Amino acid sequence: MDFYLGLAQVIGIHTLLGLSAWCVLHTGQVSIAQGAFFAIGAYTAGMLTSMWAMPLAVALAFGAVMAGLVAVAMGFPALRVKGLMLVVATTAFAEIVRLFFFNLKWRVQTPTGEVGPDGSLGFGGIRHFPANGWSTLDVNLLIWALVAAVMALLWWLDRSRVGTLWRAVGEDELAAQSAGINLTATKVSAFGIGGCIAGLAGGLFAHYATHIEHHNFTILLATFAIAYPILGGLASLAGTLLAVIFIQGFLLEGLRFIGEWRSLLFGVLIVVVMLVRPNGFLSRALFRSRHA
Amino acid sequence: MLELGNLSRHFGGVKAVDTLDLTVRQGEILGLIGPNGSGKSTTVNLITGVYKPTAGTLRFKGKDIARLEPHQRTEIGIARTFQNIRLFGRLTVWQNLWAARVVRERGWAGFRERWLSGAGAAREQAQALLEFGGLEHKRDMLAGNLAFGEQRRLELIRAAASGAELLLLDEPAAGMNAEEIQDLDHRIRQLRDQGRTILLIEHHMELVMEVCDRVAVLNFGRKIAEGTPAQIQQDAVVRAAYLGAEQPAAA
Repeated sequence: MDFYLGLAQVIGIHTLLGLSAWCVLHTGQVSIAQGAFFAIGAYTAGMLTSMWAMPLAVALAFGAVMAGLVAVAMGFPALRVKGLMLVVATTAFAEIVRLFFFNLKWRVQTPTGEVGPDGSLGFGGIRHFPANGWSTLDVNLLIWALVAAVMALLWWLDRSRVGTLWRAVGEDELAAQSAGINLTATKVSAFGIGGCIAGLAGGLFAHYATHIEHHNFTILLATFAIAYPILGGLASLAGTLLAVIFIQGFLLEGLRFIGEWRSLLFGVLIVVVMLVRPNGFLSRALFRSRHA
Repeated sequence: MLELGNLSRHFGGVKAVDTLDLTVRQGEILGLIGPNGSGKSTTVNLITGVYKPTAGTLRFKGKDIARLEPHQRTEIGIARTFQNIRLFGRLTVWQNLWAARVVRERGWAGFRERWLSGAGAAREQAQALLEFGGLEHKRDMLAGNLAFGEQRRLELIRAAASGAELLLLDEPAAGMNAEEIQDLDHRIRQLRDQGRTILLIEHHMELVMEVCDRVAVLNFGRKIAEGTPAQIQQDAVVRAAYLGAEQPAAA
């Protein structure tokens, strides 16, 4: 049972990460920076609870806002380019963020000893959950309540005009511009909201893991982030969740017995889905006749 | 309303549009015709801001607009359709209209319309446009699933939904049958009667001669004639450009 509760935490956190990429992909952009926003949220929230004993809610909210602000700040210059150039720009940004945390040393004395990011040694002692007697089940409830809240928010957003604008820009930038839509503002809004969600996921991750380090936030994490909504399809939010369950639950945990070959399967899976169902595994056409 | 002064756009050595002077007057339907590659579409792309001019001026309602972004030009009242239809295929008909309405919600007037007077008026306007385009029964269909003629009509009302006073229609009759062209003719007139100004780029001569108040003819990026449809039909230079015979000065 403990194993499954542990896995459920990972799935919940990664679902949030996938949803953050879902926002950006909606506007037709591919961002490799989601892992970096996740890292910013993780370090910010972790530092607030462990170093200054802030309440968890404040720390998580601050981590999300911080990641969102950074996303908006980098979005303005980065989103002037698109396609491959944006992939290059966001990859560079992700490495900058990772190396920043690789070098960040900021230790403070607390009643329980010295804590804080310690450069390449990582940032341990984010012990808000164990120190306050949270069980794994409690943590799960918190994570999944937040997943539900974010999903509800995005569901509503997708049906409001914000979602309409995101989709319009994602479909055809030239037509969107001609219809009077400000491309940069629309993309930056998706980037900012996506950044907030990634930051929230990161804050949860820091407290779930209790020890984080730059190694957790490599390009591989960003690859997972965009793989979930791509596999699940942009048509639905549930698609992202199912993709996370499939990849984290089945591919990485369920197939543990085949060893490191399963990492290779992840790549194979993406290639296969791209070939067979280019709009994602759960794209609309699955529920309709092919010739609708 | 719209003034192009000495407007040029060169692509390398090619002068796609060359020192073009053209004025669109308020409330008229101006036709812009010319053989393939004569610079009609480039002209539309210059007016809407897809391309920046190499030289010359571009004024709309007396204001210089040469430096504005495409969406800003839509905001001040210039909207277009595309030669090859560009809808938001995976949005519904209604959402396509709604996406184009967003430009009208900027500023204080937009704030008041959206938050203080309720969305009722906006809804009614969008509904009226749907009926105008004959798409009221397709409201919740995905735009990509519409028939060809319906897609053209949706693109037309999407341009109108932005509230633009000047509509640039880039070959709206392409691929249409005689009956659909008749329909289009009525719709263009109606749009004008509602107070809009129309610049019609078209290959279909019957439609142009029928619906336009004035016609300008391009060849090799230059304006070679301008006048009423009757005058243009009699113009020797135009005939030469179209028939390719006895090419006068253009080389």
